[in-house]
Amino acid sequence: MFPTYVEHPRNVKFEGQDPDEKIILLLRAHPITNLPWIFFVIVLFFTPFFIPSILIMAGLRLSMFPQTFQIIFLIIDYLLILSILYEGFLYWYFNFTLITNKKVIDVDFSNILYKSVELAPLPKIEEADSTTSGIIGSLFNFGDISIQTAGAKVAIEMKDISRSAIVADIILDLAGKPHDHSKEEHI
Amino acid sequence: MEVGAQTILNNDIILSFGKLAILIILILYGVFSLLIIRQVDLMGKTLITPISKIIRAIAILHSGVIIGLIILAWGIL
Repeated sequence: MFPTYVEHPRNVKFEGQDPDEKIILLLRAHPITNLPWIFFVIVLFFTPFFIPSILIMAGLRLSMFPQTFQIIFLIIDYLLILSILYEGFLYWYFNFTLITNKKVIDVDFSNILYKSVELAPLPKIEEADSTTSGIIGSLFNFGDISIQTAGAKVAIEMKDISRSAIVADIILDLAGKPHDHSKEEHI
Repeated sequence: MEVGAQTILNNDIILSFGKLAILIILILYGVFSLLIIRQVDLMGKTLITPISKIIRAIAILHSGVIIGLIILAWGIL
């Protein structure tokens, strides 16, 4: 339903798109990278079921608290779950990379008040290196890509991108540079 | 110990303090939900997809539910 590697996505546009600019690849982090917050949501979901036991251990009983307070606490807990789910999805869905026929665009929303857009015009790209690290990265075939433009500075860093080696190859093909496969790192 | 705890929890001052704490948490949460609407708006403009409108509608609904909950909590606590 929400793919992480989309070639020639339809019905997708981005801010600042030129009329003759076409999206070749839409990339997001691999869904498995969402596992930490999903685990946290599962823990929060089951927390109310353990509260009576925790209260008994503390020498209290649930019936000591007014029922209205219990209801409000329960609602707040599930609203918190809803928020974490929603925020987790938003940050995954809108932290994306686009490769167009003109440039590479990497958009990061790392928190609610921070937006970063990094651009690298294709003709200026000198290198694209991919790194796959760890058991999970190797198992699910995702990794990091760093793109370097003219100059020493790394222009764009993309994290946890599905099929990172193929993506780096596509970027270099579009930039008109040969891909040096010896630079693919598998840690 | 249970009798002591029961006495404390029946204390009006403690309950009023609890009510105030819950209301403050909910108000802060409400502000946070409004910030989410702003952020979703910004995100939706950055990447325009068929589900952008649905995501925005969820953000507004989420904020509405929290405002409703603040009013409910104010009334029943």
